[in-house]
Amino acid sequence: MTFRPASLAVLLAVAATAGAAEPEFLLVIRDHRFTPAEIVVPANARVKLVLDNQDATPEEFDSHALNREKVVAGRSKAVVFIGPLAPGRYPFMGEFNVATAQGAVVAK
Amino acid sequence: MKRTSLCAALAAVAAAFPTAAHAGPDDYVHTPAVEYGEREVELRLGTATKSGEARQSAAALALGYGPTPWWFTEVYAKFERAGGEGTRFDAFEWENKFQLTEPGQYFVDLGLLVEIERPRDRAEGYELRLGPLLQKDVGPVQANFNVLIERHYRAAEPQVTELGYQWQLKYRWRPELEFGAQGFGEVGQWNDWAPAHAQEHTLGPALFGKLHVAGRKVVRYDAALLFGASSAAADRTLRARIEYEF
Repeated sequence: MTFRPASLAVLLAVAATAGAAEPEFLLVIRDHRFTPAEIVVPANARVKLVLDNQDATPEEFDSHALNREKVVAGRSKAVVFIGPLAPGRYPFMGEFNVATAQGAVVAK
Repeated sequence: MKRTSLCAALAAVAAAFPTAAHAGPDDYVHTPAVEYGEREVELRLGTATKSGEARQSAAALALGYGPTPWWFTEVYAKFERAGGEGTRFDAFEWENKFQLTEPGQYFVDLGLLVEIERPRDRAEGYELRLGPLLQKDVGPVQANFNVLIERHYRAAEPQVTELGYQWQLKYRWRPELEFGAQGFGEVGQWNDWAPAHAQEHTLGPALFGKLHVAGRKVVRYDAALLFGASSAAADRTLRARIEYEF
């Protein structure tokens, strides 16, 4: 049985880069809270969340519902891509400050 | 150091050593995402039985760290036990995972695994294992598929480059309990696969979970009971991994 590596390489390249521009939403982290705490995004579309951590300490955007975990260093930004999401509410939290950093993505 | 230059440097180190490799029963399914700043202690355990052969067991203890948003590095001390013999040190391993795309940005998430192992038996030289890590999320279902090549370098005997794979499907029910299936396989030489009866394929049910301890302290686990799907594979393999992240 003979394996053709070129076929796999082409498949991987096409699969990994088949993307398109997506709508962008800003989520600010300040005083260990998310602003807005609830962010409405279009359903059935890939969405880009820009996390702007204005605190001096790092925070981790964590959502089991969205299957995303992203650490944002203090006073820096990071990007999280989510979706396409079915209509619904998807909770997230700041794993380093669970008591205050709570929020949700609402897909409509 | 930039992502591309570090990947290139590791590949160059691997290529600089110009000699069959088998993943142990404690092997696990790698995922492409990296958590920046995460530190972890990891314990892996696995035991495999095959009719007419001695039980093969393996364990590994590791320390890991994510120095950048796209690179996670981990150092393992690996141990093995065969049949009624005592447990003995097997190898040191340096594992590096590179997150090449942001999760969810493209149709599939892509990472790269580069492992370099130095077996206790110096006659085995160095073992290199590398390959792409793929992940696709569809709603609450996560699918992973990795294609990995393995080769020994500077070994006493001539070696071939072998091809293996690993996959998992999991339903993300709750953070503390997810369930699904995993599979592992080795097909022989990468460009000239062994006949079906000589290939090793295992698959079976798996459990996964994440438990919050406090703050960023988290315990993760995954375990699987694998059944042989080819005559050359172990009849049953029980494997588990537990990580403490802080």
